[in-house]
Formats: sequence, structure tokens, C-alpha cells
Amino acid sequence: MDLMTIQEGREHIIDRVQTGDEALENFLFTLGCYAGEPITVIARRWGSCTVAIKDGRYNMDTRLAKAITVVEM
Amino acid sequence: MKIALVGNPNSGKTTVFNMLTGRNETVGNRAGVTVEKKCALIKKLYSGEQEITAVDLPGAYSMSAYTAEEHITGNYIKEEAPDVIVNIVDAANLSRSLFFTTQLLELGIPMVIALNKTDINKKKGTRINCEELSRLLCCPVVETVSTRAEGLTALVAATVRQLGTEQPTPFPALAQLPQGKAADKKRFSQVKKLVAQVETRKVFTKDRNAQDRVDMILTHPAAGIPIFAAVMFLVFQVSQSWLGPVLADGYTFENGFTLPGLVTLIDAFKEQVSFLLEQAEANPFLTALLTEGIIGGVSAVVGFLPLVMVLYFLLSLLEDCGYMARATVVLDPLFKKVGLSGKAVIPFIVGTGCAVPGIMAARTIPNQNERNAAVMLTPFMPCGAKLPVIALFAGAFFKDATWVGTLMYFAGIILILLCALLVNRITGSDPKGSYFIIELPEYKLPDGKRAFRDMCSRGGEYILKAGTVILLCNAAIFLMQSFDLSLQPVAEGMADTSILAHIASPVAALLVPILGVAAWQMAAATVTGFIAKENVVGTLAVCYGISNLIDTEGLEMLEGAGTQVAAVFGITRVAALAFLMFNLFSPPCFAAIGAMNAELKDKRWLFGGIALQLAVAYTLSFLVYQVGTLITTGSVGAGFSGGLIAVLVIAAVVTGLCLRRKKL
Repeated sequence: MDLMTIQEGREHIIDRVQTGDEALENFLFTLGCYAGEPITVIARRWGSCTVAIKDGRYNMDTRLAKAITVVEM
Repeated sequence: MKIALVGNPNSGKTTVFNMLTGRNETVGNRAGVTVEKKCALIKKLYSGEQEITAVDLPGAYSMSAYTAEEHITGNYIKEEAPDVIVNIVDAANLSRSLFFTTQLLELGIPMVIALNKTDINKKKGTRINCEELSRLLCCPVVETVSTRAEGLTALVAATVRQLGTEQPTPFPALAQLPQGKAADKKRFSQVKKLVAQVETRKVFTKDRNAQDRVDMILTHPAAGIPIFAAVMFLVFQVSQSWLGPVLADGYTFENGFTLPGLVTLIDAFKEQVSFLLEQAEANPFLTALLTEGIIGGVSAVVGFLPLVMVLYFLLSLLEDCGYMARATVVLDPLFKKVGLSGKAVIPFIVGTGCAVPGIMAARTIPNQNERNAAVMLTPFMPCGAKLPVIALFAGAFFKDATWVGTLMYFAGIILILLCALLVNRITGSDPKGSYFIIELPEYKLPDGKRAFRDMCSRGGEYILKAGTVILLCNAAIFLMQSFDLSLQPVAEGMADTSILAHIASPVAALLVPILGVAAWQMAAATVTGFIAKENVVGTLAVCYGISNLIDTEGLEMLEGAGTQVAAVFGITRVAALAFLMFNLFSPPCFAAIGAMNAELKDKRWLFGGIALQLAVAYTLSFLVYQVGTLITTGSVGAGFSGGLIAVLVIAAVVTGLCLRRKKL
């Protein structure tokens, strides 16, 4: 499952972040977005989705949302 | 004593810095507003007798430099060794912020934590046990609300107390681990434990709230773009058509009482100066230099100040409320199609105030090609200095029609999109190759007082520029126009023999295909416009001897002055529109080119960018003039064949560049 397919508003655990872009993955790490951490999709729309990571809200494009796979809590 | 303000992006460092030092650095409710370090002395009110320098650093999420701004921050702390670090922590996002805090605590530099935005926590019922946090982190924690200057006296006092002390490492086990992902994961879990110990929440971030519902509307794929367009339209409409002109021209109440506008006051001042000089029987040439050359040119520019200031005020409110981050979300899918990042919308919006900070704002775009494209294209957005030029032409040729200004902004946006496609074609970068992520800050009520201060400080800069660069340019233009090549005064009606006419004539010849006539005055205005765009207005005012460009008394007079100005210029409306576009979209002022140079690093990108701007401006204005003339008169305008050759050469070069990339 990736962020584009899971239910909105339900907390999931990140399984993998696979973008092929090391700098980006390091950056995501500093936000607390890495395997084992909780993530919640707040809302999805055409082209992007809003997520909650730790106590912050972020918007990411579909491409990045698909690169983050999650598992049920 | 030197203290460094360090913390996550959008934690409020610059607001603290401004409050402590009395400076007026740009702030905004989004990540990445500050891209360079800034230093200033702290006000005596806070520091007392001690001299304390505060250093405001760009936001960072960690000590490992993943972004250009983090690099600046990390390097500064490591190399410059501030006496005390003030770590500004967003109290509403402890679980992320304290990661960086734990890294900072291991540097051995005395530290104080400013737990900022505690007002948001109060509203949400989140409680943080500061004493416990302070005990666990082995450093003082001071609660602050930087926007209201709350807690800052206590913060500075705590900072002074920390000077010269030894900073203990709160988690020695973490510090001893070799740097890397494994250690950082432990760090995050340590932070998680810590937050659990000190924080109690009633509202959880993972739950959808009212702000999310607002987001759903503002970032809606169908509604988002019209909302964005409406917001920007409103900003320009208010500054250029509603409030700005009232402040410039004055306002007459129903009972006949007239509140004078800025232009009215300037005119009165000018008349007074002329009168006094006449009375004193001063040298007529010097009188003319002072009243027509210097005061005339400068006042023509200053007259537009209200329009520019209202624009700055509104842009400041827009930055403050948190909408900018949403605008990037709305435009990202659209921008991606032409190979730009959605984050490029920030440089473009900031660029409507001034291209220099706009170009610098492009630093937050991680992908290099996307960043370079944004830097090259930001100057296409008409900036505050171009606003007087737009207003002058709209007033003189189009009866102050508001569509002229709106059209220019939309033309700017369309040019940006088209040129982004072209740049991608030429450089061969893959527009689908980048990811996009941006933090969505909490909305807040914009601070009118701060926006007012911001407006005044930028208005002050505008006046300063008018009083220095523009004054000198106008004086030089006046002198060059008054003397011929043998340094004799130019005789009446022989203006074409002046030094200025000689220098500007070659440029004037190049402008025939977009003006229809060879007007050296227009050419001179274009050239001085490269120094500062307001110069276009100043130079035209000096060359044609008209300085009252915004009129004072009602619509009839306004139309009267407009037609008069149009008649003096001696070009058609179509030519006026073409010339206006040429000035707006041709390479910007020196300051902006300097900023482009600093950001692009590679000279090929810089020269490519300038060539692109020149080519686009020339082609567009050529097409506007020739097609417009064809439609209005039935035949193409003067200089058609020459212009066509130039445009064909441009097209050939561009095609060649695109094909070359394909072969590679």
C-alpha cells in the first residue's frame, strides 16, 4: 500500500521510502518521515496529498506519495 | 557577545530577530523565507548595557546540511562559534523540532531554548512542562510569543546568564554514537520519549481540523487556480486602481472637502521651488536643471509611490497569512507540466514586489534545473518598479484602463510558462524528474501593524532610490539633452542634435519595428531602465518635459492630461502597448541581473537568461506592434522587414539550440 491508496484519516506505519533520490530521502528523514514512523493521510486531491508527520502538515505530489509505502498499525 | 538564532524553518526566528533588534527583515508564514544570515545589535531595551549582536540564520531541520540554507546555518555554527545559541523551537511541533535541538546541544556551545508560538498551544489546550523540559535538556527554556514580543526580556536575560557557562550534553550515549542514520533514529526515539514526558495534548495533529477544511477549498484542483487568480487580481486591483490612485491623487468628499494626494503635494512643492528661484533671479539653466531635470524626473517617479506602497502592504499580508504555501500546492501540477517546481510560485509572487528577493527566494527549490529556470523567469513578473511604467502608459494611452495592468501580469505569467517549456527543451531536463513536498503552516490572521512597517521600510527604499540613482540619472539625462556634441547648449527646436539624441539614436533604430518611429527619447528611457526600471518614467518625464503623470483633479482632467501625454510621445496606442511590453519583459535592472548572477553561478545560464529575456521582449513587442497595426490600420507598421529578420534570426537560433539538444 502506498499513500495514494490508503484510507484518509487513519494512521499507518511507514514501511519504505523509495524515491531513488538520496538527498530527498535524507531530508524526509529529518522531518520524521522514515520506515517505522507513523504517517496519516489527511486529504487527497488531484495531483497531491496532505499528510501529517509528527506534529507537522505537509503537502506532497502524487509521485512522492506513491514512493512511500505503508503498513497497517 | 554574539548570539545565533537557530531553529526549524518557520519557527519564528526572524520575528524574534526583528523584535530584538528593531530591524525589519522580511518574514512570512512559510518555510524558507530567510535564505541568508543577517546580523544586528540587540536593542538596549532588552540587552541593557551589554552589547549583544544577534545573528539570524536560515531555518534548518538538522545539522546535516541537506538544503542550501541548512548548509549556511550548519557552517556558521561550526565555524563562527557564537557565544550562545538561542534555539527557537516551534512549541506546536516539539516532536520534530527537538531532533535538531538535541544535535545542537552536543556542540558544547551554551544554549537557551525559546519555546515559541506558545499562544497556538494555549488555543489548542496543549501543555508543555517547561521546567521538566529544561531539566531533561540541561538548558534554560523560555516561553515566547515572538509576534507579540512576549517573553523576549526573559529570553535575553537567560541568554546573558548562559554566557561562558559549559553546556552539558543531555544524552551522552547519543553523542558517542558514530554519526549516521542509526544514530539519528535513536535520537528521534529519544525525542519521542522526551515529548511524552513533557507534553499533554487535547488536539492531535493526525486528526482533521478546520484548517484542513479550508485547505480543501483553497487547494482544490478545480477551484484552487481561480481562487489564486482572484487573490492576485485583487492585490493588483487594490494597489493600482482602487486605493493606490486615491492616495496619489487625493480624494474629494461629497461636501467638497479635498484631501490632497501625494502628487498634488509634489506639484505644489515644485511650483514653490520654481517661484522662489524665479524671485531670486537664479540662472535659468540651473533653474531648469533643478525643476525639470531633478525635481521633475524624481517627482514623476515618487508620484507613483502610493501605488507601490499599497502593493507592498498587500503582499506582506499575503506572506503573513499562510496562503503562499497553498498557492504552491495549487500550481505545482500546472507548473510541473512546463518543467517548473510548484515552489517557483513563491519567487514569482515575491517578484511582483521586487525581483531581487524573488530571485533569492528560488533557493528553496531543491532541483538545480528547476531552480535555475525559476531564477531566469522571475524577472518576467512585473515588479514594483515596473508598476509606475505600467501606470504611466495605462494613463497616457488607455484612459487609465485597469485591463492594461492586469494584462501585463497575465502576459508575464504566460511568458513564464512558455519560456519554462523552451528552457527545458534547450537544456533537456526532465520535468517529471522531481518530487515536491512543502510544509503547510497554520493559517494566521495577518499582522496589519507589521505589514504597515514593512510597507514603510520598502517605501523608504523606493524614495531613497528615487533620491539617489534616479536623481543622478535624471540629471545626467537632462544635461546630455541640453548640450550638443560640441558642448554648446542645444538651440530651441534642435533637440535632435543633443548628446543624448546621438547616443540613443542607434538604439532608437533598433526599436523602430516596435515603435513605428525612431524616437531617441524612448530609446534613452529603455537604456536607463536597465539601471532601474523607474528610470523609464523619469527619463520620459525629463525628455518630454512633463512631470505630472498622474493627474490631480478628477476624471476629465485625467483624460485631458492623458491625451496630452500621448500626443507629446507621438506614438500610436498599439506602439505604446508594444513599447510597454518591451520595457517590462526585457532584461531587468542591474540589481536583478546581479542577483541572477549570484544565484545562477554558471555564466552560461546567466547569459542564456539575459539573451532569453531580450529575445522574448523583442519578439513579443514586435508581434504586438505589427499585428496590432495590421488590425487597426490594415497594413503592417514601419520597420516590419527589419524586425521580421531579427525575429527570424532569434527563431533560428532557438530552433538550433533545441535541435542540438535532441542530437546529444
